[in-house]
Amino acid sequence: MRGHPGVNDSRDRFQHVLDRLSTKAVDDYYNPYRLLEWPDSLPDDMWWMSPELTTTHGTAVAAGLSEAQLRALSKYESLNFYSLNVHGIRDLLIEVTRRIHTSGYEEPSRFFHHFIGEENEHMWFFAEFCLRYGGRIYRQQPAGERAAPQRKETESLLVFVRILVFEELVDHFNSLMARDTRLHDTVRAINRIHHQDESRHIAFGRELVGLLFEDVRRTADEGELDAVAAYVRRYMTYSFESLYNPRVYRDAGLDDPLGVRRKLLDSPERAELERSVFHRTRTYLERTGLLR
Amino acid sequence: MTVNDGIDVVRNWILSRHPERARIGPDEDLVRTRLVDSLSFVELVYVIENATGAEIDFDTIDLKDFQSLSAIQRAFFTTA
Ligand SMILES: [Fe+2]
Ligand SMILES: [Fe+2]
Repeated sequence: MRGHPGVNDSRDRFQHVLDRLSTKAVDDYYNPYRLLEWPDSLPDDMWWMSPELTTTHGTAVAAGLSEAQLRALSKYESLNFYSLNVHGIRDLLIEVTRRIHTSGYEEPSRFFHHFIGEENEHMWFFAEFCLRYGGRIYRQQPAGERAAPQRKETESLLVFVRILVFEELVDHFNSLMARDTRLHDTVRAINRIHHQDESRHIAFGRELVGLLFEDVRRTADEGELDAVAAYVRRYMTYSFESLYNPRVYRDAGLDDPLGVRRKLLDSPERAELERSVFHRTRTYLERTGLLR
Repeated sequence: MTVNDGIDVVRNWILSRHPERARIGPDEDLVRTRLVDSLSFVELVYVIENATGAEIDFDTIDLKDFQSLSAIQRAFFTTA
């Protein structure tokens, strides 16, 4: 993020984007604690999640289940989806809070204020939904230690790539579920509101990742760029696979939840879902040159 | 399944992801040697759950229990 000759155009562009998104964040500001309506309970026999977005859709596993079982499963899958949001937000808040108003982040810091404030509110309504209608937030699936520390530029790039990948993954679901008339109004409202805020976060994230990648590209050799691309590819798969939570299959009453997860991960339908979820993200990352 | 079979399943799973390796020493550090990394760790946990048939509480995981095959054996496949 430091000034380099020849990058004034992209820095001007970044300033403009920051102005536009910050103004929009102020204009669109709402009180989530007042805005949302929370019925005491939601009917159990509805689709809690668009069936096409569930991990079993069209698979051999789904073929062995009744529609009532599939609807029940969609409830637990939706709870897992919102739980992933809660944990993903906690992780990204830690990273962004660690960087706000530190050197190198002078410009994005003014947008970080909107980002941090909005994410706290998102975490609240996702957690509220899980606790109120599911009685639980699914635990975060475990992540191991990161082996070798990266140099600072690469570390920062990967932090914001991880945030962007997470936000784009979630947004694919939000934008479709906001419009799905089979879903309850409360479910649609949460997805719609989140989608509205996330369009700004994603626009911001893409600009920031673009700039951070320029910094890395200027100073990295081919081997390092290959390693970054390979890591990001694996990270996308890892994020996608977190949708396949064996505790969900257990709670929905399926036998051998780990076997179900494995079967689903190996199914052709999974490849198709992963492709469609990350279609935009992959196109963007290829265009920047980050995925190669 | 005997307790020894369980750790064999774990070892075979790691080896299947690392065709360049023929064996793994019982005390080899799985993280430092990059046999398991931050992104494959979740799979390792599920492989262990599958082999033991018991769920692991993610919120109380101690990473030291996953540091080597012998640590995994001690933490998850010892019945005493
Ligand atoms: Fe959010
Ligand atoms: Fe966001």
